[in-house]
Amino acid sequence: MAGAWIIADNREQTLELLTIGRELATTMGTKLTALLWQDQELADDYISHGADEILLLPPLPEDQPPGAYIPVIADEAQKKDPDIILMASTVRGKEMAARIATRLNTGLCSNCIALNLGEDGKTVEMERLVFGGTAVQKVTCTVRPAMATIPLKTFEPAVKQEGRQGDIRELPAPAPSPVKILERKPRETEAKDISESRIVVCVGRGIEKEEDLALARKLAHALGGEIGCTRPISEENHWLPEELCIGISGISVKPDLYIGLGISGQVQHVTGIRDAKVICAVNTDENAPIFAAADYGIVGNLYDVVPKLIEAFKT
Amino acid sequence: MPNIVVCFKWVIDEAYIRRGSSGELDFSSVSYKISDYDRNAIEEAVRLRNESGGRVAAVTVGSPEATKGLKDALSRGPDQAYFINDASFENIEPSQTSAILADVIGSKIEYDLIICGEGSSDLYTQQVGPRLAERLGIPCISFVLKLTIDGNHIIAERKVEDGVEVTAAPMPVLVTVLPDINTPRIPGVKDTLMASKKEVVNIAKDDLAQTYEPTLQTTAMTAASMERRCVKFGAEPGDIAGFVEALEKEGVLR
Amino acid sequence: MDFKLTEEQELIRQNMREFAEKYVDPIASEIDENSRHPVEVFQKLAEGDWMGIPIPAEYGGAGADYLTHALVVEELSRSCSSTGFTLSIHVGIACMLVLMFGDEDQKKKYLVPMATGEKLGAFVLTEPGAGTDVMAATTTAVLDGDEYVINGTKTFTSNGPTGDTYFVFAWTDKEAGRKGMSAFIVPKETPGMQAGTHFQKMGLRSSQTSEMLFKDCRVPKENLLGQEGRGLVMAMTGFDHGRIGISAQSVGIIQAALDESIKWSKERVQFGKPISRQQAIAWMIADMATDLDAARFLTYRAAWLKDQGVNFSKEAAMAKLFAAEAAMKHTIKAVQIHGGYGYVKGAKVERLMRDAKITEIYEGTSEAQRMVISGTVLR
Ligand SMILES: Cc1cc2nc3c(=O)[nH]c(=O)nc-3n(C[C@H](O)[C@H](O)[C@H](O)COP(=O)(O)OP(=O)(O)OC[C@H]3O[C@@H](n4cnc5c(N)ncnc54)[C@H](O)[C@@H]3O)c2cc1C
Ligand SMILES: Cc1cc2nc3c(=O)[nH]c(=O)nc-3n(C[C@H](O)[C@H](O)[C@H](O)COP(=O)(O)OP(=O)(O)OC[C@H]3O[C@@H](n4cnc5c(N)ncnc54)[C@H](O)[C@@H]3O)c2cc1C
Repeated sequence: MAGAWIIADNREQTLELLTIGRELATTMGTKLTALLWQDQELADDYISHGADEILLLPPLPEDQPPGAYIPVIADEAQKKDPDIILMASTVRGKEMAARIATRLNTGLCSNCIALNLGEDGKTVEMERLVFGGTAVQKVTCTVRPAMATIPLKTFEPAVKQEGRQGDIRELPAPAPSPVKILERKPRETEAKDISESRIVVCVGRGIEKEEDLALARKLAHALGGEIGCTRPISEENHWLPEELCIGISGISVKPDLYIGLGISGQVQHVTGIRDAKVICAVNTDENAPIFAAADYGIVGNLYDVVPKLIEAFKT
Repeated sequence: MPNIVVCFKWVIDEAYIRRGSSGELDFSSVSYKISDYDRNAIEEAVRLRNESGGRVAAVTVGSPEATKGLKDALSRGPDQAYFINDASFENIEPSQTSAILADVIGSKIEYDLIICGEGSSDLYTQQVGPRLAERLGIPCISFVLKLTIDGNHIIAERKVEDGVEVTAAPMPVLVTVLPDINTPRIPGVKDTLMASKKEVVNIAKDDLAQTYEPTLQTTAMTAASMERRCVKFGAEPGDIAGFVEALEKEGVLR
Repeated sequence: MDFKLTEEQELIRQNMREFAEKYVDPIASEIDENSRHPVEVFQKLAEGDWMGIPIPAEYGGAGADYLTHALVVEELSRSCSSTGFTLSIHVGIACMLVLMFGDEDQKKKYLVPMATGEKLGAFVLTEPGAGTDVMAATTTAVLDGDEYVINGTKTFTSNGPTGDTYFVFAWTDKEAGRKGMSAFIVPKETPGMQAGTHFQKMGLRSSQTSEMLFKDCRVPKENLLGQEGRGLVMAMTGFDHGRIGISAQSVGIIQAALDESIKWSKERVQFGKPISRQQAIAWMIADMATDLDAARFLTYRAAWLKDQGVNFSKEAAMAKLFAAEAAMKHTIKAVQIHGGYGYVKGAKVERLMRDAKITEIYEGTSEAQRMVISGTVLR
């Protein structure tokens, strides 16, 4: 038996995984299977976007986490013996992937940023960042199936093809998980997706007070860009939502212009801006590592420099 | 009074890794540390013990070199440490680490709650916690930002993409914690001195039920490159003008 | 021979490094500028048992060795040498004096709150007319019933305006010469004791230095430290211990100068290459690194001897002499390496250079150290 499987929390992620899944399945001459437990109506949609087969997981009671599906998914994988399983690198996906990999006794490449078939046409070579982004590690799985979790936006979403056919199969309902969800608190502010923004102004701990974010916003506005932040700003200060945190544990951005304000430039952050065309930084500390990662730096106090920049960009 | 187990990893401090002239990684001047988020895990275990009583055992798998991390870990408050070490454990991958941990924790340590960091600062695979739970056959709640013990259950707030999930699970249970759960202490002098008096249980490879083969193989490890212009300006009006002009030339302003 | 620190010493050093980076680095320049004693830092130091490291646990300390204390002063001074010094004089002189010479009651009453960091100690010896020449002091203490009455003017008292527990040296019997001086414990707010002029200084600015004025200042008999007439011996023993701290402070300063010089010289490009690739600069840095090690080893040796329970006066004097002079010499070089950027306010090397100078002056000038050393080697 063989096949490529993809598993994701929602449609957006599934479409991205369908792209790489389709590519692999075609090269390996095998079938592409997508798992689905959200909106059951999506089965045909996924087929038209490249899936050959849909495995439908029955809906869960309100208080059950998707982790409940793990035994069902692992059992099915044991029976069908796919070559590869790709999952979305989301909070839920990462946990589920690790636990499924354990049940299947196989290896898992977490946060895989590139994925290629080896010369033998079978071995999947996967890349990921380690040491906070200082290094790139290449790995292969020595056991079947190869598994990987893939961050959002690593691949383009699949395009719809008319007239595609596929099978839809239902998997059995899982036993209830001992983990119960008591309450879901939705995110208060819906954050912008800045991963595709052309201009990003990013703030770090050099910003003293939450109110001062206005200064960064003004600069972003003057440039027609968006704002992002370092992890301490979203995680410790909670001044900006998680989605705006750039770096190895946040998002990657690839703008034409990135301006970092009061950011030291630790590798965990800089990893997320590697693909920016031009990197600029404003920092009081001439020796801050961000300057080594920047094309253009201004050594100065952001409170003094940013108003001047806003002025200059306006004209 | 829960028995709490906390897992930590002794890792290379990535800030000291240099890029060699031909793109290789230069580890010659590295130092080691307790992985960042494992400090949060230890802090949380100790906080809960101080609140609810019980004991905290800190467990690590590593090469014998990692012995240096034991006192550091114990100075942060755990009552006891388990040091599972062998020269061959230097570069094991997450499936092995979790299997070895499960082997030892499952057979030698009483536990109601196991706490791991969300991911280690070196490999950051974020796998060891969930894999360990699966191996032990206990529930797992990952990416937790708030944790309370309520009788024989835990209540954990978990950060997910679309918000926060408040979850509950019966003990024994495993959680992985996010850095925002607490601020790890800087151990005081007495804490460090006291660490030497705490028990360390050494566990060798032979004490394990079996050997655990890797399922993931590293085929290459290279320095990530990032070549930039590195032009620096001051903050004088002339500098600002020069800076803006440079950006105009780059064609990145609209 | 073993140059390795114990695991505990390494960890404590690392923890102090983290402490200093977190709580001291961010304010070092501000407290220098404003001559401010950072109360908040000392509260945190107290919480982590940093303020009585070599004092036994029964007296409120951490019960570690003296070398550990020196390591901590070094790491703290690397971020802010004023803060490092305040800790050093508090532990190395004030706490050590009671530990070594106080009776059980004094230890309970005065050492415990100092070693836990609740109270800050001060050492009150120097007078306007008596610096290096301690014997020229004029402050007196006269027994009147159950109380000593202290009169006189002291100067350059570190922690003068901010201290809680003062160790005051005064003549009880001027005629008896070297055997006529005694030491007294004077708590803050004792009537008759008052801080006088508060000095503005070139460096060491967050450490508070003032005159201390004594006018019919009455302290109970039990506040006599040790016996009458032993004051000079106590002061000298206090210096022996304090000097290890000043050496450590100096080592911290040199380490910081070296850190800054390496960073800057690798980044600063002139004539098409980083200045670190100019031999003139590279050699300055080589000398700095070498003297840093020499100063460090002299300091650790003195502390180690102290921990072995053998005499270390000469070695403490040597360590202080060498480390202080090296700190001055190399902070000047560090400013040189930074060029104009090292001369302007805000550059760390500028503060280091101003801070370094005092290490050649207090707790015995370099000349005084040479007197101690030559006095021993020529004996
Ligand atoms: C496993 C792991 C994953 C991580 N993932 C991420 C991640 O995804 N993203 C991320 O960002 N971080 C991440 N981190 C944290 C990362 O290591 C750094 O701690 C973080 O990026 C530092 O943020 P910062 O630059 O805002 O703050 P700091 O490092 O505190 O830097 C603040 C800077 O502001 C400058 N400054 C201060 N005042 C001013 C002023 N007035 N004007 C100009 N400049 C000023 C200072 O000189 C300093 O350089 C991770 C860490 C770990 C261990
Ligand atoms: C910031 C600061 C903090 C201080 N903190 C304290 C404190 O907490 N408690 C305290 O009691 N004191 C303190 N002092 C005083 C300090 O210890 C004295 O300043 C020091 O002992 C030198 O005394 P002096 O200033 O009177 O100089 P002097 O003794 O007048 O010396 C002037 C110069 O003459 C040299 N000299 C003097 N005698 C000889 C000799 N016989 N042979 C060769 N050269 C000689 C000296 O080395 C020096 O170069 C502090 C001083 C300062 C500036």
